[in-house]
Amino acid sequence: MPGTFKRSPLKRPERPYIALGLEGSANKLGAGIIKHDSDGSTTVLSNVRHTYITPPGEGFLPQDTARHHRQWIHSVIKDSLKQAGVEIHDLDCICFTKGPGMGAPLQSVALVARTLALMFDKPLVGVNHCVGHIEMGRQITGAQNPVVLYVSGGNTQVIAYSQQRYRIFGETLDIAVGNCLDRFARVINLSNDPSPGYNIEQEAKKGKKLLPLPYTTKGMDLSLSGILSTTEAYTYDKRFSQTVEPSPESDTITPADLCFSLQETVFAMLVEITERAMAHIGSKEVLIVGGVGCNERLQDMMGIMARERGGNVFATDERFCIDNGIMIAQAGLLSYRMGSVTPLSETSCTQRFRTDQVHVAWRA
Amino acid sequence: MATASLIADSTQIAQGAEAVSDPPSRNTTRKVYKAYIHTSFDSDAKVPILLKHRFKKQYRHPSLDANLTRARVAGEARALLRCLRSGVSVPGIRMVDATEGVLGVEWIEGKSVRMLLGGGAEGEEEQVSDSEEFFDDTTDAGGESVSHVDPLDEYQVTIDEIMGLIGSEIAKMHKADIIHGDLTTSNMIIRHPFAAKGPSPTKLVLIDFGLAYTSTLVEDKAVDLYVLERAFASTHPDSEPMLFAVLEAYKKGMYKDWTTVERRLQDVRLRGRKRSMVG
Repeated sequence: MPGTFKRSPLKRPERPYIALGLEGSANKLGAGIIKHDSDGSTTVLSNVRHTYITPPGEGFLPQDTARHHRQWIHSVIKDSLKQAGVEIHDLDCICFTKGPGMGAPLQSVALVARTLALMFDKPLVGVNHCVGHIEMGRQITGAQNPVVLYVSGGNTQVIAYSQQRYRIFGETLDIAVGNCLDRFARVINLSNDPSPGYNIEQEAKKGKKLLPLPYTTKGMDLSLSGILSTTEAYTYDKRFSQTVEPSPESDTITPADLCFSLQETVFAMLVEITERAMAHIGSKEVLIVGGVGCNERLQDMMGIMARERGGNVFATDERFCIDNGIMIAQAGLLSYRMGSVTPLSETSCTQRFRTDQVHVAWRA
Repeated sequence: MATASLIADSTQIAQGAEAVSDPPSRNTTRKVYKAYIHTSFDSDAKVPILLKHRFKKQYRHPSLDANLTRARVAGEARALLRCLRSGVSVPGIRMVDATEGVLGVEWIEGKSVRMLLGGGAEGEEEQVSDSEEFFDDTTDAGGESVSHVDPLDEYQVTIDEIMGLIGSEIAKMHKADIIHGDLTTSNMIIRHPFAAKGPSPTKLVLIDFGLAYTSTLVEDKAVDLYVLERAFASTHPDSEPMLFAVLEAYKKGMYKDWTTVERRLQDVRLRGRKRSMVG
């Protein structure tokens, strides 16, 4: 309830706590170390990431991604410890992504987490990836009780907190928004470096024309697969040309125009369902998390909407938006401080793990 | 512009939460006004109407916004008209200006079902998305200081009766192949008994057809019911018996079409990504 203040069940730490977070649910491999100090402050000691980048026109396959993670995990963890200036013995717990995500990459990282835990006798904490994003976003931006738009390659959800759960108000009925953008980047052969979404964003800045695309919101849910097909169909249109410069007058269709149209339509839908959720629960804060959350056009549109309603938008940059280890450490340490530890027999991974399955013990 | 001057002369309707929140009237995706129009040239009598203004969304690309607004206003008017023709209890249409994004409908004196049922946790803040048809409640404008009379008594209805009406109205609407798209208890109004005059006054009025469309598909009807189910669960605690009563009345209204809708409704309940699929 807005206005009523409830005491947080999370007690102030009596000593500093340090946690290592390991993330590898998709093509990013991350390790991060976070410290919760006894004065109540939180410090990011290190946040190291290595991304598996595929050639243009190709996506990342589970087995190749897992191979990449296995190859790099040692150096990533070593780097994170070195940057943080801590020894592995100093850690209070080791946090890893339990799900949701791709099976093989999740397993390869969980295996490392388990091994470390047994070697150094540290407790393990399994973390829901989505909750990790939300908690890191809240920590970095200081947003109190925002409506959360979680947009990434695998997830598209509008989330609000209520009674110790992050409840899903609206979500995609088919593919995730990041998936939609990434796949279109593949269609027009954009580079995957640093990320297909980033290159779409740059390309869209050159776009001049808004082409008609389906606008498919269903209540608070949305559907994106038809938009992808329609955008792709434009590339077979006679007017489509990859060599012409975009111009508002001529009737040619350029890749830039398509990127522009795709972004404008999809983001308008996202902002609309977020606005609905805000109206429904009466919140004035929006927090954007997830890889697509780095997109500045999305942040702009959300900002305009929030200001129209007299609220504001919170967003983070690529360090914390894109999958990273530190968010796993943050969410894991919060639940560790509430006394939750994952016993070794339950440190399995799961590809299906909904945001609303997690009991959020650390919030009132 | 005739439409613009009508809006300028009208009063924006104070909504429940706006008394306590500031800045005011920013809580829905449209603005709603109460305006008066003359019924004929020679008389001075004015009747109240409700104006819904879909204002320009700055965040949307202008041409996308214009297209959406035009399509949605026209679609809403079309759905209302279709409902009226099929005998579903909805507000009558008074004026349409699709390019300006303004729709004028009959003013309905009454209270939303959500208010009558005591609205659940977020009760006082009548802020459900797009719920903007409002009622001017002169008796307890103070909001919180609700009069001692049980509103259900004042409106001379019982909860069972309301649930029956909801079910049968939705069935009538679905029989006419209209999908509401946003069935919540805020989008249903019980007419005040004093206002329910005329030849055959209907007690329950379905409002806000902003997301409505026509479809013959069982799928769409089932999703429509599922939306209502979720809305009930999130706003009214212990809503299962109420929802059961709604579905009973709906079943009666749908006759033999019910079995297919029921089967699909069970499928729809299982949807959503990344659910654990054990067994």
